[in-house]
Amino acid sequence: MKYTPRQPGSNVNVTPTSPLREFFLLTAGLLGMVIVIYMVLGLAVDLIVPRISTDLENKMGGLFVGSIAAKDSDSKRGTHVRSLLEDLQDRCAQLPYLFKVHICQSPTMNAAALPGGHIIVYTGLLDKVASENELAFVLAHEMGHFAHRDHLRGMGRAFVFITISTLLLGTDSSISKMLANGLNLTEMSFSRKQETRADEFALETLYCDYGHVGGATDFFKKISKAEDPGTFGHYFASHPESRQRISHLENIIRSRKFKLGKRKPLPETWRQLKD
Amino acid sequence: MNNFLFFLTLIAMGYVVGTLVEKRHYRSIHEREKKFLYLPAVTMKTVNHPDQKVMSAELVCGSAVISIDYFKRLLASLRNIFGGTVKSYESLIDRARREALIRMKEMAGDATVIVNVRIETSTIGRNANKKGVGCLEAMAYGTALTLEK
Repeated sequence: MKYTPRQPGSNVNVTPTSPLREFFLLTAGLLGMVIVIYMVLGLAVDLIVPRISTDLENKMGGLFVGSIAAKDSDSKRGTHVRSLLEDLQDRCAQLPYLFKVHICQSPTMNAAALPGGHIIVYTGLLDKVASENELAFVLAHEMGHFAHRDHLRGMGRAFVFITISTLLLGTDSSISKMLANGLNLTEMSFSRKQETRADEFALETLYCDYGHVGGATDFFKKISKAEDPGTFGHYFASHPESRQRISHLENIIRSRKFKLGKRKPLPETWRQLKD
Repeated sequence: MNNFLFFLTLIAMGYVVGTLVEKRHYRSIHEREKKFLYLPAVTMKTVNHPDQKVMSAELVCGSAVISIDYFKRLLASLRNIFGGTVKSYESLIDRARREALIRMKEMAGDATVIVNVRIETSTIGRNANKKGVGCLEAMAYGTALTLEK
């Protein structure tokens, strides 16, 4: 047997293929799958959420409010906020919740609704509000989320999605992170509608409680000055851009012929409490 | 959002750098394979040759560790979902094995033939760091015979 030295012409062990094409094909397939799952989930959440009792919700709320409740601070202003909230609930927004207000030390100008009737108010908001009407509008907005059960909707979908993704790919998978990022965005744009509805609810409540809607847009005017949405801001803002929200509210005020009255000042002690 | 951009950058970098490195590696593999063409490496256990004429017989081995790039790993994990041939790993294994063979031949020096060649493959660094990019080791070994002319 004679040895003839030669190199193999072609490489049978490596498939000649375009990895980029394969990548896009697979990603498209995966995205399609995720979109289908996501839509099914959306339907499932809409079916389930109205059936969750407030009782069950309170139990779930306890799961992740614990750490926030422990850090509760600023009790004096908290008392004001609580009594204002109770007034709103008694007179105008009768919701089957026992609301609990948590004051959270943070420069964020915002408030948040969590399952179980927990409303988190950041001190950044308390520092900036100028009138009781303005504060009442923000609180009523959060109550609007409870009335429409948005807080459960948002959580429900995210919860089911994360379960499925970890079942499929595991917690550390870079793909499930990529999906989570992509899904989060859709989740946020979905919540814009909810924000608008909560705004409408807040406007009604404010009108019912004070007889006029003065101060309703004050809060958004403040954040529209503070916020700079940047290039991607339109898409990523979880709260629709303040200017849009202001104009939406003003449209309703005009068409419903709501009066704009004098704003009720905050209690005198408020300013002192801040320091 | 920042995470997502970071992730995209990693993929793009993995693709560009990974492709460049692979091309360069293949070029060097081709060159060195040509250089070592004079030295046959076969899987037969013996060559038909009288024992007295064998001047020396020694173990030679070569091993190469090649890492997956980020893009290839992503492509493979996408494949894990749908199934099918994991083409992105093919070139990796091919490179590792050929590199190992070349290194084995380098070790053989001026031997006449390498018999009983075996190639083994193993993964490295997967358990140590589960999130990290895995590595592949290919090891080639055989018996280098120097025969009397």
